[in-house]
Order: sequence, then structure tokens, then C-alpha cells
Amino acid sequence: MISFASFPVSLQNETQDLTRHHPNVEDDIDMDEGFEEGIHRLTSPGEPLTSSQAFMRGHGTYIDREEVISSVAGTIERVNKLISVRAVRSKYNPEVGDLVVGRIMEVQPRRWKVDANSRQDAVLMLSSVNLPGGVQRRKLESDELQMRTFFEEGDLLVAEVQAFFADGAMSLHTRSLRYGKLRNGQLLTVPSALIRRLKSHFLSLPCGVDLILGLNGYIWVSKHVKQSEQEGEEAFDAEAVYSNKNDDIDDATRLAISRVSNIIRVLAAHFIPLTDTLLLDAYEWAVEQEGDVKDLLQADIGDAMIATITARD
Amino acid sequence: MSSRVEILNDGGYRSDGRRQYELRDVNIDLSQQGTADGCCTISHGLTQVLVTVFGPREAKMRSQTLHDRAVINVEMSVLPFSTGERRRRARADRRILELAATIKSTFEPVVQTTLYPRSQIDIFVQVLQQDGGLLHACINATTLALISAGIPMSDFVCAVSGGVHATSPLLDLTMLEENDLPHMTVAVMPRTSKVTLVALETRLHVDRFAEIFSLAGEAGQALHREMRRAVRGRTGRLVGVMETGMKQPIGGEPLERDVVMDDRMDF
Amino acid sequence: MPRPPSPSIPEKEFLFSSLKQSLRLDGRNPLEMRKPTFTFGPELGWVECALGKTRVIAQVDAKMVKPPPERPLEGIITIHSELSPMASSEYESGRPSDEEVTITRMLDKVLRRSDVVDKESLCVLAGQRVWHLRLTIHCLADAGNMLDCSCLAGVVALRHFRRPEVEVMGDEVTIHHPSERAPVPLSMHHTPYCLTFAYFPDPAILPVLDPSHLEQTLSAGLLSIALNAQRELCVVQKAGGVPLAPDEILRVVGIAVDKAKELDKIVEEGLKADWAGRTVEVR
Repeated sequence: MISFASFPVSLQNETQDLTRHHPNVEDDIDMDEGFEEGIHRLTSPGEPLTSSQAFMRGHGTYIDREEVISSVAGTIERVNKLISVRAVRSKYNPEVGDLVVGRIMEVQPRRWKVDANSRQDAVLMLSSVNLPGGVQRRKLESDELQMRTFFEEGDLLVAEVQAFFADGAMSLHTRSLRYGKLRNGQLLTVPSALIRRLKSHFLSLPCGVDLILGLNGYIWVSKHVKQSEQEGEEAFDAEAVYSNKNDDIDDATRLAISRVSNIIRVLAAHFIPLTDTLLLDAYEWAVEQEGDVKDLLQADIGDAMIATITARD
Repeated sequence: MSSRVEILNDGGYRSDGRRQYELRDVNIDLSQQGTADGCCTISHGLTQVLVTVFGPREAKMRSQTLHDRAVINVEMSVLPFSTGERRRRARADRRILELAATIKSTFEPVVQTTLYPRSQIDIFVQVLQQDGGLLHACINATTLALISAGIPMSDFVCAVSGGVHATSPLLDLTMLEENDLPHMTVAVMPRTSKVTLVALETRLHVDRFAEIFSLAGEAGQALHREMRRAVRGRTGRLVGVMETGMKQPIGGEPLERDVVMDDRMDF
Repeated sequence: MPRPPSPSIPEKEFLFSSLKQSLRLDGRNPLEMRKPTFTFGPELGWVECALGKTRVIAQVDAKMVKPPPERPLEGIITIHSELSPMASSEYESGRPSDEEVTITRMLDKVLRRSDVVDKESLCVLAGQRVWHLRLTIHCLADAGNMLDCSCLAGVVALRHFRRPEVEVMGDEVTIHHPSERAPVPLSMHHTPYCLTFAYFPDPAILPVLDPSHLEQTLSAGLLSIALNAQRELCVVQKAGGVPLAPDEILRVVGIAVDKAKELDKIVEEGLKADWAGRTVEVR
């Protein structure tokens, strides 16, 4: 427990401390005093962090009797006077501008409901998608009637978080040529904590595989599409964008896609955050091993891979 | 009903070799199971319970959503092989429904549901083995599963059962003891040492009640240390792994303490 | 499924602010029960118990059955309780609601598992003939605290009930009609009473005993204590709700002890008055 001069510790708390902490855990309590340094410490629900008079409470904390108390198990983060606790593993918490991969769950009047691995289904308004015949135009009744020709239940899409509704549900948009329906690949689900915010969430690996790292923990691994094909700015080809047909994928690409997917699965199982360099290292290692793609999922091979790539830094 | 087994012998030992106030071995496993957001397997001696938590997620039944907070839904199942006598319980068994309702109302005020309006948190409780103290095992496992799902709670909820034999109080009863003795379950929130749940179902004198009640409260604090250690161990391990995987670990070198916590994991 | 209309905000605030001044909407003190009234029917073991506008009918009947082989020396007691939409529009037939489960389980614990009736005394001929007591509880109107009212009705009905006298001659069992021989009361171990306290979200509000319907709806947790006049607790149930300090619980248990004694007196008087007005004809 921290004892600030301005903050009288009540007698009751003191006696509790005497009985509560086992001698072994006392070092944890000492650690709490060194708030000033940038290193992060661990905490669990119900642990007092500091006085609410000296600090402000952020996410993952609450205030009771002038104390800031942690409400989740995770690492304490401090920005100036703001104390927050980041849960080590939790549901995806959306922020405006995040790139997410989602799946259409429901078609509703003028909107789609999208499962984005968050606490509520996201909403994609009809007015937030690109429609055939010009990027900017009014949405007509006829568009509303043929919503299913754009996105149907079960379709996967990549989108950006545009705004939030009053109850915290997120609204998505696909008004960029990079966003829209997904084809030619497979979906992976990893804990959202493992996807860091990167400069670009569209990765192109040299092995002919494109990756879309959704911040919500959904990852799309697909065949590489040439950049020039995507940038048909004037000629927005609705046919191609909303197509449900996969392109032809040759065997080598299929193999590469599965190899990348399996590597991601192994990394996720070891709870290692995904970065492009790590993925490339792992891919190289996997190719060197000359094993079957499916062998990567075996525990010993996966462990060996993790050991090699984490040792390389 | 008299049993041939002595509940508490003259030497002060119970039928399974424990002392009066001794709790059974607690084993906590917080490893990931399937696609659940949080899960925990806890065993108190031979009682074993698995709890998985999903959510907060989009509510399945729109009619039951609340506009200002999340709904907690508890489903409980007791596996047919969990008791000595194999029998299949109907899902609508009143006893099970009551246990599920108890778990639900215990956690509703503890989980900060107002952070997740219109969502649903699903808690699935599976009883794998029963040897007394079913309710307290379920509550402890649910606490840990919710924590491992990263769902904000105001505190741990730690439950312990207690009983009385003649005039001597006992803690953490086995099935054998539960059948013969008046017993109760108490759940405490360790930070404030407030009580969220008391369940007494057998006849007991008021004075004895007070005795066991305060004893169980203390035992809850002891259990909290154990549970907290498990949570910290898991958090430390995950944070440690995340840092080794990163090129530049946030905030300097990985802490030495985390390594120490890893060692403590295997109790 | 239409949800019952929740109390309006002014209603809620009025209740909370008056409770803060230890005032209740029906003029009671915080720790005052509504005085129970009993109406006994012409039959023995039929009672209607009313706590204010909450009304419950309990009825006991007995029949002779063959005991199950695992318990040849004990009689059987079954409790049937039903919360029909008659009591309040909040209940619906079909799948039992959480509240109904709580009430049914609580009745079971208070009236059956705490050994109210001496089950061995219900055995007539070991392994051959035992009494099967059937307690039926009908909730007529719910104006809050249905649980206490049902328990009270159940216990009083058991006390009020008289089973026919039997005679055993060898393997022959003769049941005497009440008009031939005076029926005998059940042999009971104790008389438990259930007392429910409601807690509110604001810790400044003290708990209230025997909550009315509005108080119950707005409460943040109930603590039910079943105990007898001999200071023996049978059931203590606080399933979740607001966390309480341990001392608070012990304090409330202490209050319940006194209240149970008061209640016991009322019940005894009621039974005595009914018995005095009843003429049992024995020819």
C-alpha cells in the first residue's frame, strides 16, 4: 500500500494489510511505491494503486474511498497523472480509425450488422459503403433493396472504425478502395492484444501472400493482388469489389497461405505479438526446415520455431 | 445418520488427515481452452470445476438486453460421472437452477456491467468432480475465469465452506463431512472483507453460526492470496512472453520479478 | 416476453429519500413486519396467511403409501408450490423464473430439509405403510415478500393439520375416521420462520424487514433468514446482492432472533384461538 502524506491511511486498512499479505508477496507491495518510473507492474482486481487525490483514474480502474483501485488483471500504465490498467487479455476495444476485419451477421434496413470480435456487433451503414456507379452519390431505395448483392450474411470484409454510437457500438465504413469484401484467402482469429498498431495493417509478404491484420484479432491471409490492379481510382469496378468468386490460386500460393496461417497460429498459441519481421523470420525458418506445412502445428516444432526466432533479436 | 468414519478424532485430525482449519489443496489452471475469452479449472481436493467465460459479446436474445449494462447469463451443468453414483441430471433440475441463479446474483454486483451496455456475458460452469464444497468451488472458479477474460470487477470473490462438529468448527468440508454436519458457504470480497454470499441450509445454533461465519471470512482471505498468486503468475507469464516477442519491449528490460513469479506458478 | 414495467424515476427517488429518513411508504418502521393474519378453513390443515396484501393459501393432506425401499422407516413429505400469473402479472406459466426457483428451493429447505416434521413418526408399519404428506402452496396475491408469507403459511398449515388416528394390529392397519377418534397433530421438531431483509444500493439506507413489492423491486439484495424461536438457524441465504460487512450480517441475525420469537407468539395465539373455536366431535 502506498502511503502519501496527504492521504491518511485508515487504521482498518493497516490491520488488514498485516493479515492479508503472505511474507512472500511483500516485495510486490514495495514495488507499488515506485510509481514514477516508466516500468510497468502487474496488478489484479481489487488492488489499491494510489490515492485518487493525486492521480486520475483511467481504464481498468475505479475509485473507492479516495483510492484508485484496479479492476482488471494486467499491467499498470501511467501517463502523467492518469493511471490505467491494461488487461493482459480482453475483448477488442475499438477506437476510431482502427482497421478491422469482420463478418456480416445480419442484413437490416439500411445497415449491416458485423461481427467484429467486440463486445457488440458493429454496424455498417449503407451510406458508408462504396456503391456501383460513382463513389459519391445519394443512396437510393433501389440500393436498399439490393443490399444483399453487396454484402450477404457470412461475407467477410475489411473496414475502418468510423465513429461510435451512444451505447458504444462502433460504426464502420468501407469508403476506400482498399476496404471491402474479402476473397482469395482464409481467416484466422487471434487474441486482439497480439495485434499492435502498425503503420500499415496491409502487409505483403515476399512469398506472394497478403496479410490484413485487423486490430480486432481477425487476420485475413490471402493471395497477393497486384497494387496496380487495386488502384483503378476512376474506374471503380463494383462487379469485382462485390464479387463472391475466388480467383484461381495456384498450388504454390496455397501452400504459402497455409504456411503463413500456421505460423500465425503457433505465434498466437505462444501469445507472441505479430510483427512483419517476426513473421518473415518464421517463414524463412519454416522453409528451411523443409517439413510439411502441417507439421508446424506440432508442439515440438512450434516450440523450436519460437525459440529460434525470438533468439534472433 | 451416524457414519462409521470419525469426523474429528481425538488427535484433532479429520477423516482425510487434515486439521480443523486446514483447507484442501487448491489447484488453479488458467490456461486457454478453445475459443473461450476466459477460463479456469479449479480443484479443491477432489472437487473440480471448469468455468468458461464468453464475452462481453452481442446478446443472443435481443429482448433480454439492457440498455445500460451487460446481462450476465450463467449456465451450469453437472456431469453425470461427477459423483460416485452415475446419474444424469436434467438441466432444469431445481438444485442446479438455484446454484446458477446464486452464481449469477453473486457476480452481478461485482462485475462492472455498466461498462458494456447491451452486451451479454456468458458463464458456463461445468462440474467435473464433486466432493463437497460445490458452491464455493464454482464461485472461486467463476471469479478467476472472469478475471482471465479481462472483464472488470471491483474485487475478487473468494468463497469457503465451513461446518461444525459437536462444538469444533471445521473448514472446507468434504462430501462425507457435509452429509453429517451442519455447514454453510461464505463468500467474501477480500479488499473490504465484506460478505456477498451466505448460504446455510442446515440447522445451526446462532452462536455457532457467528463462530463459523467469522472463521470462513478469514479463510476467504487466505484463499484470496492463493488465487491472486495464480492470476499474477498468469499475467506475468503472458506479459513476459509478449515482451520477448517484441523487438523493443515497452518500458525497458523485462522485470526480474516476473521470472520469480513463473517459478511460483507450479504449486 | 413483456417485461414488467419498472418503477418510475420519481417513485424510486421518493422511496429512497423517505427510506433515508427511516420512513416507509406504508408507515411501518424499518424493522417492523406487517402483522400476519391467519384465516383457517373448515378443514384441518387449510390456512390462508396474509401479510398485508400478500396472500398465500397452504393446504396439507395426508395419504397412506408404501415407502420407497431405501427409506422404509420414514414418511414422505412433498411440497407443491405454484406461482401462477394470478399472484402477479410478473409471473408466467411455463419455465420457472429465477424468483420462482428461489422460492421453491427456499420452501424446500425451510420446511423439508430442516426436519420440521418428524418423518419417523409418520411411519405406520415399517416398509409397508407410511404417511405421505402433501403440502400445497398457492400464491394468491403478491404485494412483496412472497417468500416469508409462503413459509409462514406452510408452517402454520403443518401445525394446524391433524392426521387421522391409526391402529396397527399385526399386519392390519385401521385408519379411524376423524368422527370416530380424534385426529392427532403431527409430531414436529421445531417451527421455523422465514424473515427477509431488503438492502438498498445506497449504504446510508438501513435494511428493511419484510419488504413491500416496491421495496423488493428496488432493493439491491435480499437476505433471508429462517430460524425458530429456540435461536436455531435453519437457512441463511444471501445470494449475491450488495456486499455487507460481517458485523452487519451478525447484527441482522440478532434482530431476526427477536422477530422470530414475536412471530412465534402470534402464530401460537392464532392457532390457539382457532382451536378454541373448533369443536371436534368424538362419538
